Amino acid sequence: MYTLRDMDVDVIVVHGPSGCGFMASRSLEQAGVRVVTSAMSETDLIFGGSDQLVDTLRTSYDMFRPRSIAVVGTCASMIIGEDVASSIKRAELDCIVFPVESHGCMGDNTQGAIKALEAGRDAGIISSEETDRQIGLLKAATAMEMERGLASRQYVKPAQGATKLRVCRKICDILSSGGKVAVVMNAKKELAYRFSDIFIAVDEARRKLGGSTFFVSNTDVEKGLPRIRKYSEDIMSQLKENNVVLDAVVGGLDEYPVIGGRMRAEVDRFSPDLTVIVGICHAYPGIRENDILITDQPRQLSNYLNEGFSNSVGEISSHSMVMGVRRIIPMETSETLRELVRGI
Amino acid sequence: MRRIAIYGKGGIGKSTVSSNVSDALAEKGLKVLQIGCDPKADSTRLLMDGNTPATVLDQVRKGGTSFSDSVHDTGRGVFCVECGGPRPGTGCAGRGIIAAFGHLESLDVIGHCSPDVIIYDVLGDVVCGGFAMPIRNGYARNVFVVTSGEMMSLYAADNIRQAVEGFAGDGYAEFSGIIQNSRGIDLENEIVDKAAEEMGTEVIFRLPRDGEVQRSEDVGRTVVRNAPCSEMADNYRKLAGEILRRSEDSVGGMRLDKYRKEEKK
Repeated sequence: MYTLRDMDVDVIVVHGPSGCGFMASRSLEQAGVRVVTSAMSETDLIFGGSDQLVDTLRTSYDMFRPRSIAVVGTCASMIIGEDVASSIKRAELDCIVFPVESHGCMGDNTQGAIKALEAGRDAGIISSEETDRQIGLLKAATAMEMERGLASRQYVKPAQGATKLRVCRKICDILSSGGKVAVVMNAKKELAYRFSDIFIAVDEARRKLGGSTFFVSNTDVEKGLPRIRKYSEDIMSQLKENNVVLDAVVGGLDEYPVIGGRMRAEVDRFSPDLTVIVGICHAYPGIRENDILITDQPRQLSNYLNEGFSNSVGEISSHSMVMGVRRIIPMETSETLRELVRGI
Repeated sequence: MRRIAIYGKGGIGKSTVSSNVSDALAEKGLKVLQIGCDPKADSTRLLMDGNTPATVLDQVRKGGTSFSDSVHDTGRGVFCVECGGPRPGTGCAGRGIIAAFGHLESLDVIGHCSPDVIIYDVLGDVVCGGFAMPIRNGYARNVFVVTSGEMMSLYAADNIRQAVEGFAGDGYAEFSGIIQNSRGIDLENEIVDKAAEEMGTEVIFRLPRDGEVQRSEDVGRTVVRNAPCSEMADNYRKLAGEILRRSEDSVGGMRLDKYRKEEKK
């Protein structure tokens, strides 16, 4: 469903029980996507819910007058073999409507995203070049998570990391003593709206405390689907408003699994005393033990701590904060740093 | 109360056997509840003078079930229920069976009919969890499989045996034998005996091929009722006795009480 949002689909109809995907639906609604359900009942499970789906499609069209609607399968509707395409045909709507026959038992969660991309391509919403590019990135992301991320162990318990105060003091100490701090943001899509706040805070710290900084981010406005490029444009212009200069821009906001090496090469030119990595930190190679890692994922945090990166902090629940925003929003670590810097 | 499930390949004569056994048991003065578990809803046709009764799922579709529309009393000791199902090619018939059983339980069909024997007549093969419902969760206790000497029918019988054994556990049914419904092929008895031996079970009765079956079906009746003095009617009576002898008599509702209690825990 997030992939459909990235393709700027206006309405998502979830063909399944009303509770299916409600968590995702809620935040997607905040991001401006209209998400409705066909609310399959036990009776629909037995007799089929195609009439119900036709009704839901027609109601959605009348209510929202969208340019595009995607119908997403669920475990329930896909197990009973619902013919979504025929319901779409029967609904006879004057807009793009296409089925994504994905469900919860397809293996890696990126499988559903790949199905959505292929369906979008077949519906003429995205080009086949972009589809191939996206699928490549998703596969890289899955491989990375299997190797050293969230899927690398059988069970990863959420953890609490270092305090924000502790890591911010480290940043202050190095800058005050004239040291070099590199900040690398390797953000996954909309999370950049929160993570990029670190640049503004560290930039202020450098101006007040001294030292030198080097900023790298994955906000290339030429990469990715139009929606994702818009995120990069927003962030680039707001950093500019704050007089923050990025030393290097490496890759787009959807390229987080494949650009770590190139980011590292940029940072190496600066040979920093300390590197602060925000976002998908484990995509960045050669992290040093005292580097600071900032993630929004409590379980990723647990992985980082287990690997011995004791300066790992969590910006938990960032994702729900960035859904639907168009401006950079404050991050706790940045706010802590600002307080420290202004208090000195 | 006996809880019996009759399985077998489609078209092998499960419904004919079940209906004749039901009528034969009723003759002995027992109260029988025959539950057809096939979306075609044709299990109890021979008990209902050739009519297909309203099904449980028909009512579910219309919004609500009632006892009087779900259970059809033949007036001679046999109660008939058809689970029914979705239009062919849509929805999920297996889920339908599960839902229909739920409705029968909440309507307290067993309490109202207080049968001595429940016979589940189940569609062809065990195709998914829904059609295995009668052998799980404490519904049926004894599974009998109807087969002829034809290969596909024996193959289906073995599939069913595997399903039953796969479910072996407390509150689940056990495989209680093969009913041979003869087609008149060469060496049929020997073929079925051999297959039974390979399956580790036995042939509990051989029904011969008899024209009386067809004649009775043509008037929408069981042989037991239509030609009570025929040799074939006697065969069905003997089979009914054999099934009684080989099935467990247990107390409780539609499901074994023990199983229901465990589920509540």
